[in-house]
Formats: sequence, C-alpha cells, structure tokens
Amino acid sequence: MLYNIARLFGACLLCAYTCANLRAQDCHLALRGHIIDADTKEPLAYASIIIKDARKGTTSDENGYFSIPNLCESTPYTVDLSHVECAHSTQIVKLTENQEVNFQLKHNAALHEVIVSEKAVALQSTQAENVVAHADLEASKGVNLGETLKKLPGVSILSTGATISKPVIQGLHSNRIAIINNGVALEGQQWGSEHAPEIDPFTADKISVVKGAAGVRYGVGAIGGAVVLEPAVLREKTGVGGWLALGGFSNGYGGVASGSVDWHLPGRSLTFRLQGTAKRSGNLKAPDYWLGNTGVSELNGSFRAGWKSAHWQHEIGVTAFDQKLGILRASHIGNLTDLLRAIDSPVPLNNPDSFSYKINRPFQSAQHFVLKYKAEFRISEKWKFSSQYSGQFNNRREYDVVRQSSSAAIENKPQLSFRLWTNTLDLALEHFPIHHWQGGVGVQAIQQYNLVGRGGLIPDYESYGGSVWAMERWRRYPLPLEFEAGVRYDYRQTHAVTSGTLHNIDTLVHYGNASGTLGAIYHISKNITASLNSGYAWRPPNINELFARGVHHGAGTYEEGNRNLRPEQAWNTNLNLQFEAPQWQNLSGQITVYRNYIRDFIYLDPQKTFVLTSRGAFPAYFYKQSNAVLKGLDGSFSLDLIDHLSFEGRISLLRAFRLADGDSTETSSQKAHDWLPLMPSDRYQYGLKWTFGGKNHDLKAAESGKENSFIRLSAGTTLRQTRIPADGLLKDAPSTYTTFSFDAGHTFMLHGKQLEVGLNIQNLTNVRYREYLNFFRYYTDEPGFSAAVRAKLIFG
Amino acid sequence: MKHIKFSFFGLLLIGITALSLMTACKKDNQTEQEFITKIVVHLSGAGFDKEFVWQDRDGDGGAAPLIDTISIPANVQLSASLHVFDESQTPVADVTEEIKAENTAHLFVYKNSVAGLTISDLNTDNNGKPFGLESKWTTTTVSSGLVEILLHHEPTDKTAAEPGGEIDFDVAFPVKVR
Repeated sequence: MLYNIARLFGACLLCAYTCANLRAQDCHLALRGHIIDADTKEPLAYASIIIKDARKGTTSDENGYFSIPNLCESTPYTVDLSHVECAHSTQIVKLTENQEVNFQLKHNAALHEVIVSEKAVALQSTQAENVVAHADLEASKGVNLGETLKKLPGVSILSTGATISKPVIQGLHSNRIAIINNGVALEGQQWGSEHAPEIDPFTADKISVVKGAAGVRYGVGAIGGAVVLEPAVLREKTGVGGWLALGGFSNGYGGVASGSVDWHLPGRSLTFRLQGTAKRSGNLKAPDYWLGNTGVSELNGSFRAGWKSAHWQHEIGVTAFDQKLGILRASHIGNLTDLLRAIDSPVPLNNPDSFSYKINRPFQSAQHFVLKYKAEFRISEKWKFSSQYSGQFNNRREYDVVRQSSSAAIENKPQLSFRLWTNTLDLALEHFPIHHWQGGVGVQAIQQYNLVGRGGLIPDYESYGGSVWAMERWRRYPLPLEFEAGVRYDYRQTHAVTSGTLHNIDTLVHYGNASGTLGAIYHISKNITASLNSGYAWRPPNINELFARGVHHGAGTYEEGNRNLRPEQAWNTNLNLQFEAPQWQNLSGQITVYRNYIRDFIYLDPQKTFVLTSRGAFPAYFYKQSNAVLKGLDGSFSLDLIDHLSFEGRISLLRAFRLADGDSTETSSQKAHDWLPLMPSDRYQYGLKWTFGGKNHDLKAAESGKENSFIRLSAGTTLRQTRIPADGLLKDAPSTYTTFSFDAGHTFMLHGKQLEVGLNIQNLTNVRYREYLNFFRYYTDEPGFSAAVRAKLIFG
Repeated sequence: MKHIKFSFFGLLLIGITALSLMTACKKDNQTEQEFITKIVVHLSGAGFDKEFVWQDRDGDGGAAPLIDTISIPANVQLSASLHVFDESQTPVADVTEEIKAENTAHLFVYKNSVAGLTISDLNTDNNGKPFGLESKWTTTTVSSGLVEILLHHEPTDKTAAEPGGEIDFDVAFPVKVR
C-alpha cells in the first residue's frame, strides 16, 4: 500500500515527510545511497526512498543516487524502497556515521499492475494549488462539485438558486477555467452561468484546484485555473474491492447512494471498475419558507478498465451523467415589471411554499457521456509515448414555464436545447529525467459540433482546433531550486450558422495564439517552500459573447454579442509560500498572492438604454472588452492550541477592476477604473478542530490523506461586496453574513472492513442570508439549517 | 492475451454503440419556443373597420419594432378584438386560438391613458372571469395618449389591480382620437 501511495503522490508527499518534526538527539547524519536494478545492475532513476520512523523520504535522481539528511545516530530505521517497475523492498539501516548504502531492487515480472503513469511523474506544481481535504471531500460529494470546492481558499461558487452552482477560481469561472475529469477536459455549455458542470464528484478520489493561468497545461481558455479530478488508481492486486457510500440530507429530505467495485482478474493484468451514483432530493427550505421546485434527481454511472502488456498500458473509460434540476418557481419572470415586483417582495412570489419531490417547470435536464481510450507505450527507460482519444456528448435541455405548457402536444418539449459533440485526440512524448530535465512535447486536435434548438440564444456551430505544446522541468537534487517552463500554441476555427427565421448568422471566425508558463520552486528550508509562477494564457471569445442576442430572463436584461471581439489575453503571476513550523504549535499553512492582468477582458456593459421587445422594455447590456486586473490573496493555516485541539483559518481576498479604455497600465488609470461585476467578496473561515487518537494513529490512513476521528466547529464570514460596478445593478449587494457549520467524522473497522461515518451540519443557526454570487439573490434567501449523515464502507 | 484484446475491442464497440444509441434516442428533442412578434388590434363598428399592428419581425433586439398609431374617430363605439402571431415559425403561427382555448389561464389587461377613450366590457372566460380578448372601445373627445396591452399568463387573481402571473407580452400603442 505504501508503495502505491508513494508513487501516487510522488514528490508532494515526500516533501511533506521532510517537513516532519525531529527530537533533540544527535541527528545530523545523512543516509546516502545508490539504487540499482538487481538484474541489469543499472541505476534506477526516480525510485522512492521512505524512512517511516523518521517521516522522511526522497526520490533517487537519474543516476540512482539519493540522500536523506538529518538522521539520528544509532537509531534503527526502516527504509522502504520502491520503483515503478520493481518490487517493493524494505531494509533496516542503523547509522553510526555518514554512510553510503547500495540498494538493489528486483524487477517483478509477476506483478502486472495498472499504473497511471503520469502520476508517477507528478511533481509539485510551481503554480498555487489546493487539494480538497479528504473529510471535506467525503462530506460534500453528495451535494455537487461547486459545494465540494468552496472550502478552498481562493475558490468560491457562482450559483443560480440552491441547485445550480459552478466553481469560481480567484474571481474567474465558466469558460475561463478548465474542468479536467480523469484526464479529459469537460466540454459542455460552460458559457452559461446557470449551466452547472456535469460531473459526479463520487468518481473522484482526489480533487485539486490549480490557480492562475494554466493554458499550457490545460489548454485554451484556462486563463483562471483548473479544477482537476482524479479517480482512484484501479486495483492492482488480484481480487475484488470497492466501496459503498450512503448519505442523507435533512434539508430537501434528500438521499444519495454511490458504489464502486473493482475486479482485478486473476492471473491477468486486467482490472474492471463499475461505479454508479443515484441521488434524489426535494424542495429545499430557507429559514422562513420552502423554496418551491428546487428538487434534484441524478443518475450517473461509469465503467473503467485497464490492462497492460510488456511495453503497453491501456485504459478505457465510459461515463454517463444524467441530471434533472428543478429551478425555483419564483425566479420565472415575464418582463421587467415582473422582475422589479419580485425584487421588491420580501418573500418569493408565485412560490409553492410546501415540500414536494416533484420537479415541475422550470427545470433543466443535462446529460453527459464520455468515452475515453488511452494507450501508453514505454519506449525505453527514459521515454514514454502516450495517446488519448476522448469523445463527449453533452445534451442540455431547459424547460421553461410557458404559456402553452398545458397543451399535450408540447407538454414535454424543452424551450432551449443544446447538443454538443466533442472529439479530442492527444498525443504526447514524455521523458523521465535526462541531465536533470524532465518533461515532454505533445499535440492535440479537437473537433466540436454544436446543435441548438430553435429559439436558442446562440447559433449552431462547428469548430476545429489544433495545439502543440512543450514543457520541461529542471531539478538537480539536492539543490533547493526547481525550474519549469512551457510553451503552447493553439488554433481554433469556428463556423457559426443559424437558419432560424428571426435573424440569420453565417460567419467564420478563427483565432490563434501562443501561451507560456515559467515557474520556480525554492525550498528555503525543510519547512518552508516558496514558488513563483508567471503564466500567459488566452481565450477566444465564446459563441455567446460573439453572437448572443436576446433577453436573459433570469437577469431581466437584454444581452447582445459582438462578432468583432478579440481574444482575451491573461498574464498571471502568483507567489506561493508553504510553511510548517512544528516548533511553533505545529503551525502550518499556505499563502498565495496573485495578480492577473487580462487584456481585452470581455464583460457585459450596461448601455443605459432600453431595448423594446414584445414583453416590454429591457435594459440593454452589450458584450464589450477592456483591460482588467484581478489581484488578491488566498491563505490557509492551522495551529495547535492544546493537545488534540487546533485552530484553522482561511482567507480569500480579491480586488477586480477594469481599466479605462485604451489604458494598459494599472497606475495611470486608477481614477478611471470601475469594478468588475459578480466578483466574490472578501471571505474568512475559521474553526476549531478536535482530533482523536492523534499520536498513535495509523500511518497508512495519514498517508492516504484520511483523517482521524474529529469534531469541527467552523464559521464563515462573507463580507458585503462593496466593489460593484457603478451602473447596472438592480439591487445592492446583500449584507455581510456569517454562517456556522459543524462536522464530525469517525473511521472504524467492521469485520475487517473499513467504515467511515460522518455528520455535517450546514447553517447551524438557521441564519437568513443572501449571497452576492447567487443570481437568485433577487428572489430568495439561501437554504437554512441542513444536517447530512454519511457512511462509507470500504471492502476488499 | 489475444483473446482478451479481442474482447476489449468488442467492449469498446459496445461502448460506442451505446453512446450513439443514447444520442439517437434523443433525436426528437425539437424545442418548442414561442416568440410573439405580432399583435393586431382589430377595431370595427360605426362604418369603421381597420387593423393596427405592433410588429417586431426579427425578434428581441436588432431592428426596432414597427408600431401603428391607432387613429380612430371621436364619439363612436367600436368592437375590439386582438390577434396574436408568432412569425418565427413557418408557416406563421396564429397563437390567438391557443390563448382562446386556454382562456381561464390568460388575461388581457388594457392600461389606457387616453382622455377621450374608455375600454370596457372585456369578454369573459369559461369561469365567467375577465378574459379580454375582445372589448368595447368608446371614444368621446379629441385626445391622444397610449394604450398598453398586456397578456398575463396564469394570473393569481384575474379581478385584482395587479393580476400577477407572468407577462407574455406587454406592448404600447400610441392612440389618437380624431
């Protein structure tokens, strides 16, 4: 297990080990060594060396050498050695002086393992990155992806009512970030703020957020960062294993069940995984009233298989996602008068104030299917070739409250329908360290076809794109510095057509641009690591920004695109500091400061004029662009107060403004700037956590990120957003609010199987509040008190 | 090994087939979206018979709507009837019949600011509540102003000053009483 984990988390975990505390003793000795293949006598590069007892570890360099400093005299250490291609080995070493030891590792031919190779080379990111803590991940998986991520510093959620939410990374969202699930970039109708990502969080074992321009790594559009979901590695031992998770939510009387089974065929290098999730919930309740028509139903499934032969490694995966989301009935408005009436009313209008599981109009239905095939070929010790095909189909339909909904012929017809087919092919040639350099080159081809039903806000389109990239990383152990550099070029061409009778479009647009990233990591001391990254990324204008024309009913605005928009270009710099100070009450934390300068930032500009429609006049908003700056600070820390009790804090600050037209520098135009709309306000989270069984805890559990039994009481304060655009807001941003939450988790063994149970209470004090980043702040309060219980049984 | 590989390609094929089948099943998802682009006020009686049109042929935005000025003689009583069209469909859909069929769920409201005009006698729905597709327009003195016509869908109270529900259209005609 240790072997797998070490490989899995690679350098990140090892770094964590080196940060461990040491007792006063003569502990200045170093273990130096050389690892060779027992059969070929060749040096083994990138082997993991872990000393459990000292909580230290490292990896061998390309010539098989390694060094672990600060070990104690005459202490027997258990040294665990592992390498991707070899059997795990454990040896006891006792040091009396600085010593060099030779280790030999055997190739294990009988071990047919499925290894997700890029994980073996996953290095510490030079960009700011946060990983969702295990307990938080388990507690929020049953809600949705947005909810899972919102506890991370610098991450917030943009929502449309209580059922639709999407992640916002340092103020940017939708098409400005990438969502990568099992190596495939999600392609849906992400341009819409009311279009939630079609992701089942239960498929993920690890969710991380990369903050800042990530265009080189994650492709065109990722100017704000990426959400990366990784599934658990397929079972490597013969036999059957898996888990079953059940959850219940008091608010909405919801339930969720998810299960996964891995089956590794005996005597073959073949593993199957079958996973599925079912979810159902009814109307949610705000402190004072029910939120009519906010039920959710979801049914997801996935299948994966992996196998390998001498040099090949294959993986196929099929994922199906099917979701039906009720939309607050009170949010449906016909014209501006309706909207103003809804805003003025303290309680939602037209609101069926009762509980029901039934999902009526308005609702959304979204289906997403992914087919993925990945093959890797190990050319030599140093080189690897990989190819991946993915096909995706996204089917989104929106059912509105319509005048004719009672007539049978159109009863089941949606008002908006979007169908998007995406085919992607990725080829990459990667290498393990050669003269301290590690990296690769690759190409990508993408084709998309989008069909919009009559009356859609955007035209049909067909799009083609190609990319070429190269990325390299330098590290010479034990120098404390690492460097990374990458470049990429992307080209996109889109042919947009409408054949409706209202207005016609037949236009070809194309964009091409380069992206780049430059980063460095400096290990200042064993407990402090600083990283600096500067990235340049771009994003072509979205189809809606180019061609939208119509009334956005939820917002009561008339929106018009502009086909002459230029691509956005983002230049992001972030400085990230990670620290651990065991001597100061185990203080640990991370702090990131960033500045994202976006040239030609596309935004909706209020026109101070009205557009006359058959439903009355609507305020006009046109898509425009000007230079913008988003800068801020995110941080998190924890500190031991007394035994078992620790204090945790998180902070997210952001300032986002637009520069006056034609200005490219921040300083010359400070006076002329205007705040950008819908940017997260400053937020703070703080809590107390009581951990049980801290000292004698199972190392295995700690390594896999699983926490011990704990109780946590936390509070989150979101300040009122005062930095809002001067024009165009119908209602001031909601007031500052503080909500409390309670969390508890416990893991125990049940007949040799691991059982994790948890309790999570949101909005403990049933406080009444509205959130600026929720479009439905015009209509309702946020949901009130909700208790959720969960149990997860891990077997095999 | 060969056998396994074969079965995997079979599996892949099944996956692709399943995917395309799922796609095929949803082929019929033609949307049903209504765009009211034309509202006709037909006024007749006392030797007068004329249609006045509010029309936005290219839908929301784009070219501004074309709006007729309702020009009617003073001191007459006219019967008014409304006709509603969706010109985004081919052939053009006459929505009037549908509204008529669901008369209990609809209400036409007239907001009149013309001094010499009275709009009265809204016709009723199947429950005897106001409907308003047809009405009586009585003119007196020479004057001018606006008549705003609204269609409420699923109004909460048809007789209230604010009938509620959603507004399906909201158009204003300039009116001149000669």
